Amino acid sequence: MKKKGLLMLFMTLLLAACSSGGSQEEAWKDMSWEAVEEEADGTEVRLYMWGGDEGINRYIDEWAAPRLKEAHNITLERVPMDAAEILQKLQTEKQAGKQDGPIDIIWINGENFKNAKENELLAGSFTNKLPNFNEYYDTEDPAFQTDFGTSVEGMEAPWGKVQFVFYYDADQISEPPSSFAELQNWIHDHPGKFTYPRAEDFSGNAFLRHVLYAQAEEPSNIYENSLSEADIQPAAESTWAYLKDIQPDLWRSGEHYPNDLTELDRLYSQGEVWMTMGYNESRAESLIEDGVFPESTRSFVLEPGSIGNTHFLSIPFNSSNPPGALAAINFLLSPEAQLAKFKPDYWGENTPISFDQLPEDMKQEFEAVDRGESVLSTERLEESFLPESEAAYVEWMKEQWFDEIVQP
Amino acid sequence: MNQRPRLFLVITLLFFLLPVLILAAQSFSAPWRFPSGSGLDWELGSYEQLLQSPMLWKATFTSIWIGFIVLMLNVVIGVFTGKALTTVPLKGRPWVEALLLSPILIPVLAIAMGLHIFMIRAGLADTVLGVIIIHLVPTVPYSIKIFHNSYQQIGRAMLEQPHILGSGFFRQLFTIELPLLKPALRSVTFLTIVISLSQYAITAIIGGGRVLTLPLVFFPFLESADASVMSAFSLWFAVIPVVMYTLVEAVILLLPYSRLPWRNKR
Amino acid sequence: MKSFSLKPYLLFLPSVLFMLLPLYGLLTAVLNSFGRHRGWTLDYYRQIFESKRFVMSLAFSLQTALIATLLSILIGLVLTRSFYPILEKITPRVSVWIPMLFPHFVWGYLVILLLSETGVAAQLLTAAGWISDPQHFPVLTRDPHGIGIILTYVWKEVPLVILMLLPVYASIRPEYYALVDTLGGSVWNRITAVELPHLLPVLMETSLIIFSFTLSAYEVPALLGTTFPEMVSVLSYDWFYGSSWQKRPLAFAAMVSISFVLLVLSFIGYGYLNKARWRAVKGNRS
Repeated sequence: MKKKGLLMLFMTLLLAACSSGGSQEEAWKDMSWEAVEEEADGTEVRLYMWGGDEGINRYIDEWAAPRLKEAHNITLERVPMDAAEILQKLQTEKQAGKQDGPIDIIWINGENFKNAKENELLAGSFTNKLPNFNEYYDTEDPAFQTDFGTSVEGMEAPWGKVQFVFYYDADQISEPPSSFAELQNWIHDHPGKFTYPRAEDFSGNAFLRHVLYAQAEEPSNIYENSLSEADIQPAAESTWAYLKDIQPDLWRSGEHYPNDLTELDRLYSQGEVWMTMGYNESRAESLIEDGVFPESTRSFVLEPGSIGNTHFLSIPFNSSNPPGALAAINFLLSPEAQLAKFKPDYWGENTPISFDQLPEDMKQEFEAVDRGESVLSTERLEESFLPESEAAYVEWMKEQWFDEIVQP
Repeated sequence: MNQRPRLFLVITLLFFLLPVLILAAQSFSAPWRFPSGSGLDWELGSYEQLLQSPMLWKATFTSIWIGFIVLMLNVVIGVFTGKALTTVPLKGRPWVEALLLSPILIPVLAIAMGLHIFMIRAGLADTVLGVIIIHLVPTVPYSIKIFHNSYQQIGRAMLEQPHILGSGFFRQLFTIELPLLKPALRSVTFLTIVISLSQYAITAIIGGGRVLTLPLVFFPFLESADASVMSAFSLWFAVIPVVMYTLVEAVILLLPYSRLPWRNKR
Repeated sequence: MKSFSLKPYLLFLPSVLFMLLPLYGLLTAVLNSFGRHRGWTLDYYRQIFESKRFVMSLAFSLQTALIATLLSILIGLVLTRSFYPILEKITPRVSVWIPMLFPHFVWGYLVILLLSETGVAAQLLTAAGWISDPQHFPVLTRDPHGIGIILTYVWKEVPLVILMLLPVYASIRPEYYALVDTLGGSVWNRITAVELPHLLPVLMETSLIIFSFTLSAYEVPALLGTTFPEMVSVLSYDWFYGSSWQKRPLAFAAMVSISFVLLVLSFIGYGYLNKARWRAVKGNRS
């Protein structure tokens, strides 16, 4: 009896192992857009994305999902998961040969995109199929052509555009620093009132790359060149010197770095530190609205500038509903969806859409949006804009930072 | 001897009740900033925000459903194995016991990753069933342990007697063993439900995000800046084991020889 | 006696089926740690044990888990022994189990809420004028000594220890104590002659369970740990879910190493128990 049970189990395993595979994929690549929308009608689309921001979640759940249902009869389900974990999952599914995966759309950029592309975890080039992308976006924009130095090749569609800024409480600080050198002095003058998330965190890593940009002779030395440890040696040396110099005057004397941006936000909201930071120049708005950040929160950027990037939506190799994914992405790229995302009510982040290609009334609506007092002016943001470096710098920074700064 | 209950009361209040009361107070008031002189600012906003979320309800029901099935399977496996370990003659029994305990001595994350490919091939990944199966790994060894301990306390003599008297397997189980296993049933209920509710990583891996349990909603917010919502959410986690415990207590009352509340005490 | 044939072994069927899960999972992990997909090698083990980061992390994890385990067992034992007649009643019992109602990471959040530098304790002490500024509150969470992790685990595991020990104490027949008293034994004799033989197996197992859990669980150290030193589980998780997949086998190697440590410990523990039990059986059955 015991043996029989075991045998049964193994039979089941064997059967299951054999029955996987078999593909009906790739058919969507040759479909007309009408056919895609028809196929997508009445289906369910699962969007896997980082779930740590209430404003973003509400934008999807309360604004986008009901409207997508109404307009295209597509049910959009948001699944919260970190991008790295999503890729890990896809990687395992690929290993197991799973063709009908649960993920239809992923929110992705930078090193995750690079990894996904290199490991062939994406469905392929699709952006040229999207009517909204072709009509309202500057398809030749270099920001859409490369993502952290990786060539996009139509495998992801631009969804949003953000810039890295610092936040401070204007009631505590009358004049925020304006350069990394001034920040250094400010930290020494206010011991324990500044810190940054560790290098594993997306935002912490970005802060560290800013320091690297600032220590290089020209930021372009970094972002225009692929990573070569020998070439950036002097800049790296002075980056470590800078970080070691501020370390004793960081929050908790630099013995502990916040695990992620959310932890830094909490410290800021409790007044333990006086500054926080992050991609998305307008993220403070909804936090102020919710009473988490003080109302006097304002933002600033430091010389030599602030790194900005574009983030994207993509389709994994084993999406079980590519037409639904295409229709949903097309919808999320529409001027209406971008406008709602641009308004501070939910998310408030900048749009990659090209204003010049919009109908006049739409353009005016975008221009009329008041992004809120904590957001810097468009001119200020544009003049300080710096592009991202190659994705390899992110990984390099993780390793080096730990060895140089953390490990005694 | 008279001081003992008092000492117990102080310890319990301070270390076991007070923290939860503070959590409750925080959940019903705006985030605290005492040093600035402000007091408690009572409000229900955090619960409004929490209970309005459709995701919370969906996740709650999924978690309860998973926890319930995991509990049932745990009781079955635990009772059978606990009894087997007590009554069946075995060579090297301690090693068998160690083997049965080993699943919780191995990092469960490693097991889950190892099983993931198998689960995908068997069509169990991204399903509630797959999550139930993986939740067995960190729970069943505890249950076996607890039921085994309990059976040992009952003793072999007690287990052999009904058999000699001609009782059938299930009759013996329901009239003699389960009533004697009451403390074990309570412990297993508690442990199983709470452990099942504690699994973030392995649920994410095997459930693939499609099986949305409470930790999957909670964990991304763990660092969230809003202490009030977090406190309310934290308390929400305790509601499920309490409901389950109450249910199991009710079931236990139905077992033979239970001291029913409406009967005389002692 | 005829009935003790093959039939009783059927009782093991559910557990045998169950055991296939973790064994298959572990086997896959071990194979991966030896580089199943990239050619067999010991290189991953060499890499982790040559890495200062891993070795220090392993030492820190062992230390933290050991302290947490010993404290939990000790406190749990003292509480159960002192109060088990009270704990027989449902209200006190349920009160003590309150921390068990919450998942570990929720209790970790509570510890932060209470004991961080801006936590409730620091705020109250400041408001009461005991410390001039919340900044002077000792660093108890996300500290380099693992205090926050240990606190959370002890707080959560003490009820578990009580849970495991309570049935044992409840089952000790008062006659045994009476016997010790009649023979003129002291309290110490009560403990060593009556309680310890009952307790030893449970204590051993509970220690192993807590030790392995605190050594390998991810959630609490991720929440309450600091940047350095970090627990092995956090490091492995980073290797696992970090963006660089070249490190996946390292994570497997790290986890298999921990499993190995734990399995050896349990072998020692069970071997000792086996002997002790054998001795007890020989001594008692006269």
